[in-house]
Amino acid sequence: MAGGMDLGTSSKGGKKPLDAQINLVPFIDLMAVTISFLIMTAVWTQIGRLQVANSGASSEPASPTEDKTPPISLLITEKELRLSAGQQSFDPIPVTRGPDNKLELGKLKDKFKELKTQLPDAAAITLQAEDGIRYEDLVRIIDECKGGGLPNVSVAAAMG
Amino acid sequence: MAIEIPGKRWGKRLQHSKVFAHGGHGKKSIYADLLITPLVDMFVIIVLFLIANFSATGEVLMMTKDVQLPEAFNVTEIEMAPVVLVSNTDIIVSGNAIGRVDDLTRDEYLNIPALEEKLRVMKKNYEDLHALAKDTEGSFKGDVNIQASKDVQFKVIKRVLYSCATAGYSNLNFAVLQKGTADGAPSAATAAP
Repeated sequence: MAGGMDLGTSSKGGKKPLDAQINLVPFIDLMAVTISFLIMTAVWTQIGRLQVANSGASSEPASPTEDKTPPISLLITEKELRLSAGQQSFDPIPVTRGPDNKLELGKLKDKFKELKTQLPDAAAITLQAEDGIRYEDLVRIIDECKGGGLPNVSVAAAMG
Repeated sequence: MAIEIPGKRWGKRLQHSKVFAHGGHGKKSIYADLLITPLVDMFVIIVLFLIANFSATGEVLMMTKDVQLPEAFNVTEIEMAPVVLVSNTDIIVSGNAIGRVDDLTRDEYLNIPALEEKLRVMKKNYEDLHALAKDTEGSFKGDVNIQASKDVQFKVIKRVLYSCATAGYSNLNFAVLQKGTADGAPSAATAAP
């Protein structure tokens, strides 16, 4: 069947059959080798990166993009999140956690939307986190900042 | 001449037919045909799937059970850079243990001297190698990947970040597990100057 081309049995100049079979054995061999190679080199976990800047221990923003835009900062404590843009500070957002102990960031998302309507050119934010904050919470907030239209995130330690 | 049983006798062409010549009860052939078509179809689908998932960069990070990465949506593709691994117990750079997280949590310094020293050495090696190879394009960018476990406190992360910054690694990248794709996320994340 798959062993070779069927070109008919007669060699006396009779009619040759029109249906020729493709030799599938080398094709299957090639497939098997390719599959083995791809499975061995496959990367099963999709890992990405969140780029941040380090603004050291100071409370200053790392890189204010424009002079017109007031520096935006978010103080992260274990009990609340305090967003401020220059002199203006928003109501603190109490920290609430879902059933899987993950931060609920819906309110922070709304604040970012509000902020972006007021300051559409804003792109930088400084996160000031307390020592006891879990890394996962920090990453989720950074992710939220990037998703909320503030891609230039700097991380600093909270003062005091 | 052999005596033939009376009855229907099929023509020459159908003498070997299973249906007509032996009434369906003849000897079964010992040769079984393998169905090649579905096999080839399956192979093609598997190859296409694996090629779609193929990553040319390979595994940048060494995944261990001790380090559970946090998840994020708005991520960019990870690049080759030195990796600082912060597990719940140890800090490791290029396979070398730098310090224990418990000790680092206790003391109140701002940096981690051993980490800083190690990163400085790595930076120097990188620059020397590129200078020897006269590679002007591959200048030192200061990229570092931080692969930290999600339960680590910011107190430790802060010290790692500070040490990286003082050693000359200013482009900090937090390694995360990509969780789906957010709308417009890559463009937003890469917009950073």
